Amino acid sequence: MNRALPLLAAPVAFFVAFFAVPMIVVVSSSLMAGGVPSLGNYARVLLDQYHWDVLAATFRIAGLTTAACALLGYPLAYYLVRVVKSRALRRTCVILLVLPLFTSNIVRSFGWMVLLGRNGLVNDALVGAGILDRPMRFLGTELGIVIGLVYILLPFIVLAVGNALAAVDPALEDASSDLGATPFDTFRTVTFPLCLPGLMSGIVMVFTLAVSAYVTPALLSGGKITVFPMLIFQQYSTVFDVNYGGALSMTLLVMTLVLVGLAGWIGNAGADAKGRAAR
Amino acid sequence: MTHPRAANRNATRFAALSAVLAAGVSFFALPAAAQSEIRVAWYGGNWGDAFRTCVAEPFTKATGVRVVPEIGTSTVTLAKLQQQKDAPTLDVAYMDGGISELAQAAGVLDAIDPAGVPNLSKAQPEAVYKADGSIFAVGSGYYSLGLTYNTKEVKTPPTSWNDLWKPEFEEAVTIPSPANSSGVPFVMFLNRMWGNPPGDLSKTFAKLKTLKTALYFDSSGAASNAYQSGEALIGAHFNVGAWDLADKGLPIGFTVPKEGVWATDARLHLVKNAPHKADAQRFIDTALTPQASACLAEKLYLGPAVQGVSVSPEVERKLPWGVGGSVKNLQLFNWADINRDRAAITDAWNRELARQ
Repeated sequence: MNRALPLLAAPVAFFVAFFAVPMIVVVSSSLMAGGVPSLGNYARVLLDQYHWDVLAATFRIAGLTTAACALLGYPLAYYLVRVVKSRALRRTCVILLVLPLFTSNIVRSFGWMVLLGRNGLVNDALVGAGILDRPMRFLGTELGIVIGLVYILLPFIVLAVGNALAAVDPALEDASSDLGATPFDTFRTVTFPLCLPGLMSGIVMVFTLAVSAYVTPALLSGGKITVFPMLIFQQYSTVFDVNYGGALSMTLLVMTLVLVGLAGWIGNAGADAKGRAAR
Repeated sequence: MTHPRAANRNATRFAALSAVLAAGVSFFALPAAAQSEIRVAWYGGNWGDAFRTCVAEPFTKATGVRVVPEIGTSTVTLAKLQQQKDAPTLDVAYMDGGISELAQAAGVLDAIDPAGVPNLSKAQPEAVYKADGSIFAVGSGYYSLGLTYNTKEVKTPPTSWNDLWKPEFEEAVTIPSPANSSGVPFVMFLNRMWGNPPGDLSKTFAKLKTLKTALYFDSSGAASNAYQSGEALIGAHFNVGAWDLADKGLPIGFTVPKEGVWATDARLHLVKNAPHKADAQRFIDTALTPQASACLAEKLYLGPAVQGVSVSPEVERKLPWGVGGSVKNLQLFNWADINRDRAAITDAWNRELARQ
């Protein structure tokens, strides 16, 4: 037991230096106004309808992104783990999936600006195929931001679900079909519930990353939509009000934790009720 | 007992190793002993390249002092200076107007002494910045935010900022957002241009609200990208960025409209308690030579802050004040006023414009 302590020291030191200390700095600066301790910054944030509107837009965009990632990512993970038989092909697919993560967000978001522009590839294709009469506006809309975020965050959910799917014991599914369940019933009652924890962790990851995303919304919003991280960045980088900026940061952090906790609680409650019903 | 040949081999190996070690030690030790250096903070990309070619290389050639660049935006440089306030490693810092005043207020700058920097007398009077009687910054070149347009799509070149409101440019205009260093001053510039009272921006925001934009850009790169892709056909852009696009063969024009342009500058600062003060002063002196200034004008189209600089006509028309202009034509706002109103203007912008 004691021998584990030195091993623990490195991660603890890392955690303290790069998480705890910066966090304490942000919290303490948020509690100062004009050089004296005060809750004024929080009052300024919370008593203003504007901030609630921005918070709602931020959570709406993150929610839509998460839903789209789950709907696209789950079948993709299923395909990679269950349908692709060749090992080499599966590996290639996973590499293709992860490869964009090695490029900077800024470059990829600039790429989407070009693709989604009025004269961009997406509009050219839609107009050329006769789906649209004239170019549609993507930049500066919530749809544009969601498209950019889904592209960047999709790998996280595919990897989380893929790992969970790969861990499902095929014997359980075999048993289910031996007992007469249709493939769909087997999926619904055996496979899906077993990889639900993987899906949930993917969803939490994507949602928190989408809530805190700055670069993609800043570029794809064209400055016409504001999400909470943009307000925080403004205060730290151009207005230099770290006290108000700190209060904005803590507000976003707490609201996100509350929302994620609430989702987890509802999920657990639902699972418990289902478990009781099954018994 | 060790075989004689083996012992011999070991000895050779040891000799080789110590020779390598010795070489290594002297390799690391030599430059510090024989050659001194200064650390200069400047920007990335083509700006940093230009500062190296136009100022650092001539300086090293003349003095033998190596220049070690520290690359970062003005804001990052200010943060570094504040961090190392007690024991600075930087000697000279380039920072933009606006951040320069904040650095002065933060007490991280030393006074630039005309006795140590003789070329200071050649600088434009507007480019020498003083606080409490001493010089805290000197301009290294001006750049402006002018009217930029797509020469293929915009047939008659615009002559006024009000042209942005023309119906044919609906949804194809771009102007800076407050996240850009020019965003807040541009609002104040428009406010003055329309003759609205300095303290009341409500009319200006009401008018801005009627401008049908494609996007508000937060970085110079985003603006360049928008003009390049055709997302924006007309709007504001820096002369440095706009001419860079035009030089690459894109159909982009830049013009100084009749109401003038808002402009600012990149400035040189001597760091307080700089470890190599004498060399740092010589560096600033080199930057204030007409040669260095002309070189920056040619590479970045920075308007010279030094008197008596001559450049080719091709370069001259791309300078921040346009054809036949001079520093007198630039609207240089007092950054103290801008910094004072920054939080309020950013907030008003967020509420009025940055939401659908």
